[in-house]
Formats: sequence, structure tokens, C-alpha cells
Amino acid sequence: MTGTSSLDGRVVVVTGAAGGLGREICRNLAVAGARVALVDLPGAPDLAEVAESVGGLVCSADISDSDQVRSALRRAEEGLGPVNGLVANAAFMAMGALTDQAPEVWWRQIEINLIGTFHTCQAAAQRMVRQGGGAIVVVASEWGVTGWPLATAYAASKGGLVALTKTLGREMMPHGVRVNALAPGVIDTPQLEVDALAAGVSRVEIRERYAEAIPLGRVATPAEIAGSVRFLLSDESSGIVGQVLQPNGGTTRARA
Amino acid sequence: MNTKAEPAPPKTPRVAVVSGAASGIGSATTALLQARGWRIAGLDLAASSADLSLQADVSERAAVEAAIALAEAELGPIRLLVTCAGHYEMTPFMEIGAAQLDRMMRVHVGGLFNCCRAVVPRMRSRGSGQIVAISSELGIAGGDGDAHYAAAKGAVIALVRSLAVEVVGAGIQVNSVAPGPCDTPLLGPDSPWRDPSYLRTLPLGRLVTPQEVAQSVLFLVESGSFFVGDVISPNAGAAI
Repeated sequence: MTGTSSLDGRVVVVTGAAGGLGREICRNLAVAGARVALVDLPGAPDLAEVAESVGGLVCSADISDSDQVRSALRRAEEGLGPVNGLVANAAFMAMGALTDQAPEVWWRQIEINLIGTFHTCQAAAQRMVRQGGGAIVVVASEWGVTGWPLATAYAASKGGLVALTKTLGREMMPHGVRVNALAPGVIDTPQLEVDALAAGVSRVEIRERYAEAIPLGRVATPAEIAGSVRFLLSDESSGIVGQVLQPNGGTTRARA
Repeated sequence: MNTKAEPAPPKTPRVAVVSGAASGIGSATTALLQARGWRIAGLDLAASSADLSLQADVSERAAVEAAIALAEAELGPIRLLVTCAGHYEMTPFMEIGAAQLDRMMRVHVGGLFNCCRAVVPRMRSRGSGQIVAISSELGIAGGDGDAHYAAAKGAVIALVRSLAVEVVGAGIQVNSVAPGPCDTPLLGPDSPWRDPSYLRTLPLGRLVTPQEVAQSVLFLVESGSFFVGDVISPNAGAAI
């Protein structure tokens, strides 16, 4: 375990909490002393187990539905106390050629990644403003900065999150809410299996393919990215506003 | 600042070289790293409160090389270099003299170059090391009335990104911290950067502190293992 940022007693909402990166974020924040509200789709695999292992509270919601988001935030506050932090991490990716992808599949990615994050940030920020401040970390993606073949909707949604973060950084800081983003490179999570399936290769093989294009020579571990989330939530990053940190192993020509 | 979760400092002190250690960001970085168990060789024109105070001009290559050699001999293998040495002045573009431009480039770009040339072979031979170069938000977004400073800091960022890719295979990680307007002695009491009418334009509404800049350095050092050639900018929202 590296890092020193303490989040003692803070209440942090994490969306996409059952995913490969999400569960590591929950663990990392809990170790730093945060009380975690875990948001993911109702019935998301392992959500209850992850919540139990970090002493957190399950607040299920489909974030593309603003009513569900509001009710999840309300349950988080009732169960844990005033919400000081949000990690907008939930995302959905379906790779496919621009010329083939069905509009519904394209739209579902925008609906969850961009609009869902908008709903989540809005609901959380309203509460944070009322209670005098907070911090939001938006998990964007390297592909939202560089673009990526066969990931048009995903890249567009994540690029939208970069602009959303920059706007909220400017708009919300005067109200005491500090907003920043991460644009991580490829992370070693179960998502790699989805990519591998799409490419018709094994998970090991797809990981090696990605690693070859990364100057550091490997993909990120979930713990490395979670450490950056924790930093951006903590007071150690108090001078950082509206920025996009890019833990991407040195991938060049990827500048937000 | 809440410090409850800090683990105990490691038993074998790690050694860092900090340039510009006598004041401002360099001084704050030295203090924070010392509190985390690091031993610091401070490189500065003036004497510093580092564990080893080395007075040298970073723009002079031989002096830097000698200071780095002495730092290793006295404190042990250098694991980290943080380059904070710099100076700032506002001058309208048409009035920037050749000597001013030269000094700006020699201290910021030359200073980083000299320090890296001295430490990289040592780090490479051990297969590990970290470098954090302090640049500036002005090197990203440009300035107004300080073009030579902005140009020098922009060059620092380009050097960092280039060196980062070149040495990452040798186990050396290079990144930059690009502070925004910072409450250091580089800004005089009458500096326009301290004017309330300017501060009101910043989303954060105030200057950043040297301690906040040092925290970004510490983050890269302790938790930045997947950052290569990145630029983290604690700038109060001056450049977004």
C-alpha cells in the first residue's frame, strides 16, 4: 500500500462499485478511512460482498435514470451521513465498427457514461453545495483524449467527461466543490476479457498487445489507478481544480 | 491537514536531490520529503535546511555534476531528483533583452538538463529512479508579460515528456508538476498575481501554496507508479 492521503470519516459515493476498478477504489478509500456508498446496477455480481468487505453500504441504481440516482444519494446520506465525495466511475463499453454498430448500442454508452455521470454529479453536487463543499473525481479514459478505433461511442462519451470535468471545475469550485478527472490508460480488469473476446484472442494475449504500445511496458493495476482517485479526493490535492490526471504509462500524444 | 493514516517512515533513509531547496517550492518539498523519511541534498545558490546543503548554480554543468557526486558520496544512492530552481520576472516581450532570455533558458531548461545529465547515469546503473521537474501553468497555457519565462517552462515540459519515454525502459520515471500562481518569494508583495482583482478570476480564489505543490510531488513519488511523462498542475484553476 502506497500513499498517505487520509479520508478519515468522509462519506464517498462510488459508482460502478462492483466493477474491476470500482471495487479496488472502494477498498482503497476504505483503507484511507472513508465510509463508502457503493452504487451499481441492481443485481450486479459481488456488489454485496464488496460492500461487506469494505464496511460500506449498497445503494443500487441505474445511473442513466436520474430518479434512481437521487434515491441512491438519499440512501447514502441516511445510512452514512452527509456525502463529501463522489467517484463517478460507472461506464459501459461495447466495441464495434462505426459502420456496423447499432444506434441503440451507441446511445446506451452515451446514456450511461456521459448522461449518467451528469445525473450523478448533479445530484451529489447539490448536496455538497448545501453542506459547504466536497470533492468529485470523474473517471474518464485515455481513449477519451486520444480516440480509439472501434470505440467511437465510448471514446466520445469519455471525451465528453473531460469537457464536463473542466466545466464543473470552473463552475463548482466557487461553491466549494472541487472537480477533477482521471484519464487512465489500459487497466488489468475483467474488461480485458471483453476486449479479448471482441479481438478473438485470450486475455493474456490482449494484455500483451496493449502493453507493447505502452512505454512503461505493462498495463496498469487497479490499485495504481485507485491511488490516484484517493489523492484527488483528499486535501493533499487541494490546489488541483478542473484537471485531468493521466496515469497511462507514458502513452505519447495523449494530452488532455 | 489530516495525517492520521501515515505509515511510519522507512528505516533506511531514501536519498533525494532537490534543486532550489532554499526557498519557496523547493523548501516546502524538502520539508515534506524529510517528514516522510527522505534525506535531502539541497542544491541552491543559497544555503538550505536540507540534510546536505550544496551551494551551486544549476546552470553550470560542472558545478552540478560535482554537487551530485558529493551528494551520493555523503548520503548514498540518489533515488529521486526534484528540480525546483528557478526565477521569475515580468517583462514586456519587446523589452526582453538577450541576457534576460539567456538567463531564463540557462536556469530553467539548462538547469533541468544539467541535473538530469548528472543523475540519469547513476539511476540507470541501478535500474531505478524518479525525476519530478517543477514547470509552470504558464508553460501550458502561455502567459502575459512573461513570454521568456513561459517559453522556458514550456521547454521544460517538452523535455520532461521526451526524457520520460527515453528512460522509462531503464526503470526511471520522469514527470512534471506545473504549479499555478504560487505564494512564494518569486512573487513580490506588489506582484499583480497577488492583486485581489486577479485572485477573484481564479476558481479557487487564491494562490496555491508551496505546500500544495509539494503534495503533488509527494503523490507522484509515492503513488505515481503508472505516471510517465505526465504533467500534474495544482494551479487553482488558472489553466483548465
